[in-house]
Amino acid sequence: MRQKRKFFVYLNAAQKRGRIFACPFLHHNGGDIRATDNTITGRRQSKNTCFLLTGATGFLGIHLAEMLAQQGYTVIILARSRDNTAPKERVQALFDWMGTDGMPSCVQIVAADLNRADLGLSLADYHRLAAGVDEIIHCASDTSFSERKRAQIEKANVENLHHLLDFAAKSRCCFFHFISTAYAAGKRRGICPETLKDTRSFFNVYEETKHRAEVTAAARCRREGIRLNIYRPSIVYGNSRTGKTLRFNAMYYPVKILVFLKNLYHQKHQEHTRESADKMGISFRPDGTAHMPIRIEAAPSGGINLIPVDFFTAAFSAIMDTALDGGVFHITSNTITSISDFIHYTQTYFHITGIQAVPAGDVPPGTQSSLEILFSRYTEIYRQYMQDERIFDNTRTAAILDPKGISCPDFDYRIFSRCMQYAEAANWGNPS
Amino acid sequence: MNPLDHIPENIRQTAAQCRHYAMCKIDYLETGLCPPAKQTPYVGYFPQGRMDLCDALAKDLVPVTQAAVEIISSCTLCGSCDRQCHFVTGMRPMKVMHALKAFLDVFQEKGEKAVIIPKDNTLKALKTIVGEKWATNDPAHLMAYANDPFPLADPQMPGYVVLPGSADELVEIVRFADKARIPAVVRGNGGSVFGFVFTPGIVIDVNRMKNIQLDPDNWTAVIEPGVTSFELQKAAADQGFRVNTAEPAATVCGNIVCTGLFSTWANVYGVGADHIVDMTFVDRHGTVFSINDKHAPNVFGFEEAVLPSPGICTGARVRMHPVTDDEEGLLVPFTTLADAVSFAKDISRRRIGLAVGILGGHYLSTFISPTRTLAEQTRDVFSGMLEMTCVVSVIGDKYARSSIRQMVPCVIDSSTLRMFMLGLPQLNRSDLADIVQGLESDRPAYETVFSQEMLPVLEEILSPSPETIAAAVDEDLRDFYEALYRRPHMTDMVWLAMFRIVSARMSRHKHMFAFLIYVPLEPVDVIQELIASFADIAEKHDIEHDLGFITPLDLGKRGILEYDYYIDHTDSTESEKIRLAMADIEPMVDKLSRTCKGVTFLKYIFSQGCARKENFLYT
Repeated sequence: MRQKRKFFVYLNAAQKRGRIFACPFLHHNGGDIRATDNTITGRRQSKNTCFLLTGATGFLGIHLAEMLAQQGYTVIILARSRDNTAPKERVQALFDWMGTDGMPSCVQIVAADLNRADLGLSLADYHRLAAGVDEIIHCASDTSFSERKRAQIEKANVENLHHLLDFAAKSRCCFFHFISTAYAAGKRRGICPETLKDTRSFFNVYEETKHRAEVTAAARCRREGIRLNIYRPSIVYGNSRTGKTLRFNAMYYPVKILVFLKNLYHQKHQEHTRESADKMGISFRPDGTAHMPIRIEAAPSGGINLIPVDFFTAAFSAIMDTALDGGVFHITSNTITSISDFIHYTQTYFHITGIQAVPAGDVPPGTQSSLEILFSRYTEIYRQYMQDERIFDNTRTAAILDPKGISCPDFDYRIFSRCMQYAEAANWGNPS
Repeated sequence: MNPLDHIPENIRQTAAQCRHYAMCKIDYLETGLCPPAKQTPYVGYFPQGRMDLCDALAKDLVPVTQAAVEIISSCTLCGSCDRQCHFVTGMRPMKVMHALKAFLDVFQEKGEKAVIIPKDNTLKALKTIVGEKWATNDPAHLMAYANDPFPLADPQMPGYVVLPGSADELVEIVRFADKARIPAVVRGNGGSVFGFVFTPGIVIDVNRMKNIQLDPDNWTAVIEPGVTSFELQKAAADQGFRVNTAEPAATVCGNIVCTGLFSTWANVYGVGADHIVDMTFVDRHGTVFSINDKHAPNVFGFEEAVLPSPGICTGARVRMHPVTDDEEGLLVPFTTLADAVSFAKDISRRRIGLAVGILGGHYLSTFISPTRTLAEQTRDVFSGMLEMTCVVSVIGDKYARSSIRQMVPCVIDSSTLRMFMLGLPQLNRSDLADIVQGLESDRPAYETVFSQEMLPVLEEILSPSPETIAAAVDEDLRDFYEALYRRPHMTDMVWLAMFRIVSARMSRHKHMFAFLIYVPLEPVDVIQELIASFADIAEKHDIEHDLGFITPLDLGKRGILEYDYYIDHTDSTESEKIRLAMADIEPMVDKLSRTCKGVTFLKYIFSQGCARKENFLYT
């Protein structure tokens, strides 16, 4: 009761100050909030907060792990083996990739498996872990879009979340930070608010399961008195200053396809065997510029919302520090990158011509060239994002980030170049 | 210097690894057969026999006899064995041949004398029947008939080996053996691979009996028992026909009697009695009978028991089948076995296609790869990156292929497969792997990669050519492989399915222990349960394993399933694993066959291969 009263006193004061965050997560069903603001902030300030982090073997997760470690927090990373590589080795390899000098001493690795209700831990280990965790950051996710993989994606994004929330309920966790996606907003055009909104229609199973996960997390945290922040990044690319990235999917993948085709046929062109390139409609100028006539259907008013990973990490940190009352936060760019611009950057950097964005419907079935069909097959799953007209309201987030001077850089040619330079230097993630 | 110093342990191990698949006994690569063996087809003169001799000498199992000297001396070091053996096993027998030569040189330089084995009365009697040259009791020859790579069977030296040149001689040998109360067994081309053909008595090797007479008007061929599948198929193909085939180096008659002929062609040509027009046998007492005689033993019946064979086949008339000039092969990939079985059953039921087989990931990659390393890489690509858990291989005419293209979203036709075969070493290019692995689609990766639009790109990536594929093998063999792969039939699915020369590659990395079971194709649960059980047992005993193939039979109502365990047959610890596994497998299959109609373990069909298929598929 005392907790509730304190909350309402705070709420009224906040309203007066005009800093109200609508927080449905605190409308819990009779349970008490597990920790006060002071407890949380006090613990954090003294760096006594123990964070449990999932997904640290992924792109966003390792950045969060490093950020938390640099801030001096104790970070317990749940990870499992893959391809005969032990969890510790996997995480160590990623810290090495991040340029960290060895595994930070404040980081502990726990071999665990979210696929299992008991997290793959013995009863004793489970309870021991639960007793030591103050806050949980759930970053683990299956980011596949393919409907064929629905069972796998649902397992990873929804069922496994239940396992983690069960753990959170049994632990002393007072704050659950859930990394979702801006695209959990579902199929719509126009403004997507920073709230949990009932949505039934999605472009793919990934968006759908992340939405369901949000709803699940909200309900469970409310019941357990656990604060909940939902972080919704848009499409994350590499570091805005260095271009460094771990994965070359999403934004990178269509570019990779084009570069692959260009290089393949350029080599043949140099070997004076042109017929195959001619068959594909690909030609080369003497300076090596490739003409690859491909029409890409795109929404004229739409585009892709791109944020660099360093912005994501900074935004997460700021939100985590500030938004103690919980909420939904769009970590997104204020500007959309049009497909035309993206094509322009790609063509400029890689010396390609012939690719153009056209309005949807301008390429009727049966009129596509082999090259277009090929490109379309490979990028089919991303087509919706090339025709995306969703606009992510980030007012709440901006209210936190602006005072701290944290802003998302516009995705321009300069940043694109850095990303591509890194991609080429890293051989697009392939061991050479 | 000790002659045995020239057979160091690594050479002996190479020799001991001979799979006994007898591919060196057929001229399947047009290299020519081992010259001395062509003249005198005792197993000992073939590379297989020399490998066994090397192993036996190193282990001091046989003395250096006259025959041993002749066998070793006769080798011309022509290198055919290297090419023939490398193609299927990756092994290089020439180092064994060189070691034997060096061994003999030192033996003779030391003035040691070859042991002369005296002729006893039995041998003299046998020589009277077949001629001086064609019977022996020399251990150097005998030991080549003593082995079976079956890991649970110890070698047994026979007392005599005899090579009859005609049915009359064969019958006379059997009558002599019966009268003399000497046990006699037949080894089709001298070999026994899991056939357990052992005797302390007389081994009859029918390798001299190679007569083939085709009857094109009646679509039949009359053959002697020493004719191999490869030889018969070649003769039939030269006349525009086809026969159902077993392993290429196996004798047709022996195979029919032992297990009945089965292959992916069984889908259309059947099994068991379906192949036979007539067969003539001599029973153990020397009585000759034809299976079409009204009073002959009923070989068409079936009893679920391990029974002896009705006798030794002295000749057979088998069916030939017409061929059309528009036949080609294609592969239909699937992500699940259940879908592949459903499709194979469907096309069999609809009479679409001729040869039909569901191939596991290991089979396809091994069939098309000239080296083990390449096979493993290819398997990772096919099963992993391209999500081709299994494929349905179909040989069909243009109408069949057209129908299939209407039934499935993705087909790998013969020209695409040829492109893959000739460009295999390029398949593992990291850039290709990357764009495929990054592919997100609601369709399996193979549908995108094998799309019409992608084929020209694949061709650019793979740079298919005889030179490209030859680059995967040892440098000194590259010219040979280049010339080999310039022959169109080496990448022709129809030819490869007919002649089955790549089947033996399944034992390239280890000997293969094949479990064959007739199964119902519906419901698919039965197959899945069987496969899961085999897998579980293999895992329990730490045995490498995989699904081999499934072929539909009888309009898709039934099928034959092969599940494979892989073992080093020279390693006693692996033999022990198989022994323990067998103790689990036999009751498992027996139980399933009691509870599920249509499940029949092939072990019960041993020696009943002439039975009507209805008798073991539906009773």
